Order: sequence, then C-alpha cells, then structure tokens
Amino acid sequence: MDWNLLGLSFVTVFLAELGDKSQFAAIALSGSSKFPKAVFLGSVAALVLASLLGVIVGEGTAQILPPQLAKTIAAISFAVMAAKLLFFGEAEVLDPEISAPEVLSSVSETVESHD
Amino acid sequence: MHFVMSTDLSPLTDPLTDQLGQQLMSETPVVESDLSAMSRCFTSTFVTIFLAELGDKTQVATLLLSAQSHKPWVVFVGSALALISTSLVGVLLGQWLSKLLTPRRLELATGTILLIVSVLLFVDVAGMG
Repeated sequence: MDWNLLGLSFVTVFLAELGDKSQFAAIALSGSSKFPKAVFLGSVAALVLASLLGVIVGEGTAQILPPQLAKTIAAISFAVMAAKLLFFGEAEVLDPEISAPEVLSSVSETVESHD
Repeated sequence: MHFVMSTDLSPLTDPLTDQLGQQLMSETPVVESDLSAMSRCFTSTFVTIFLAELGDKTQVATLLLSAQSHKPWVVFVGSALALISTSLVGVLLGQWLSKLLTPRRLELATGTILLIVSVLLFVDVAGMG
C-alpha cells in the first residue's frame, strides 16, 4: 500500500469537498430529516459511486449522462426541496413526531416576530 | 326485541368501523411507513447528491491523481475515506443545527441552504456551457 498516495488523495479530496455544495446539501438534508442516518448513507453512497465512476470510466461518464444535464436536474430538485421547506413548511406537516411543546414555542416565536 | 338487538349490534359488524379498529390496533402500518420514509430519504439524498457531483472537481482531482500515479485503487480508497469524513461532518452539523433551532427556523435555515446549493449548481452549469 502506497501510504503517501493514500494520504495525498485523502487530503486533496477532503479539502476539495469541505464546504462544498454536497456538504451543504448533507447539512440541510440531515437537519430537516427524521432520518439523519439515511441521509448519511445516501450521501456517502452517492459520493463514493461518483468517485468510483471517476476512477473506472474517467471522462466516459460525460458520454453516459452529460454533467450539465445531471447538475441541472439536481439544481431543480434542490430548488423544489428548498421551496417546500421555505414556503409550505413541509417537514412540519410530514413529521408527526414533533412534540407539542416545540410546535408551541415555534408558534409563540412567530407571533413575537410579527409584533 | 329482535329488531332492537340487531340495531344495537350493527356498529360492531360495520366493515368501516372494523377497518378503522384494525388500523388503530395494529402496529405494522406505522413501521412500514417509517421504513418507506427512511428509504425515500436515502434515495432522494443519493440521487440528488450523485447528480450534483457527477463531473465535479472532486471527480476531476481523483481522475488526475489516479492517471498520474497508475494506482487508481489507492486513490479511490483515499478519496472514499475523505468523502465519508466530509459527509459525516455535514450530517453532524445538520444534527447540531436541528437541536439548536426551533422547527420553523430550522426549515427556514435548511431551505435557504438548499436554495444556495441550487444556485451554486446553476452557476456550475452556466460556467460549463
């Protein structure tokens, strides 16, 4: 095992991904979800598979699915999720486990902010 | 007498009431919906992040490193470990945020973050064209 190369690839990718959009997406999705473990596994699976494709197929992925198209689809899905959270309060509607005291405190906070 | 008895018993044999009672009694529908919600959560995270990362700079960096070194699997293991770490940091930050904020403020914060991610992706697409 080439430990130098392993360390180099780890540091390169870690720094490239730190504060990148997929990490922001992981923060937002796990924060608004009841299942942070599912978000973690989904995020790891997606990133590792994308990196695996990078190693195996290289530039070939562009022929299967053009990155512009893939990114546009992802951008639209993220925008839809954002709109659900911002305007419809989807998470609260979908999540029956939010306890009454929390709902009450958020309601009183909303009332306060309108004063 | 017989007539009165039958009207008294009818609510018990009413199929609609029966169904409602069964739904209230059994635990399985709750577990099933929990599981499907969990897998939906996994799938939507997986698909959106995968599409967002396809052809991204991380992939380019991995590609360059593996091409230069001729040891693609070492590069893959290093980059996979890095991606697991950044995902873990992201999810832990999200969890911390969800404990810090009230539900409505959390929705506003996470919604804003997702909107920023969406804009960043559109900027990426514009830069590629």
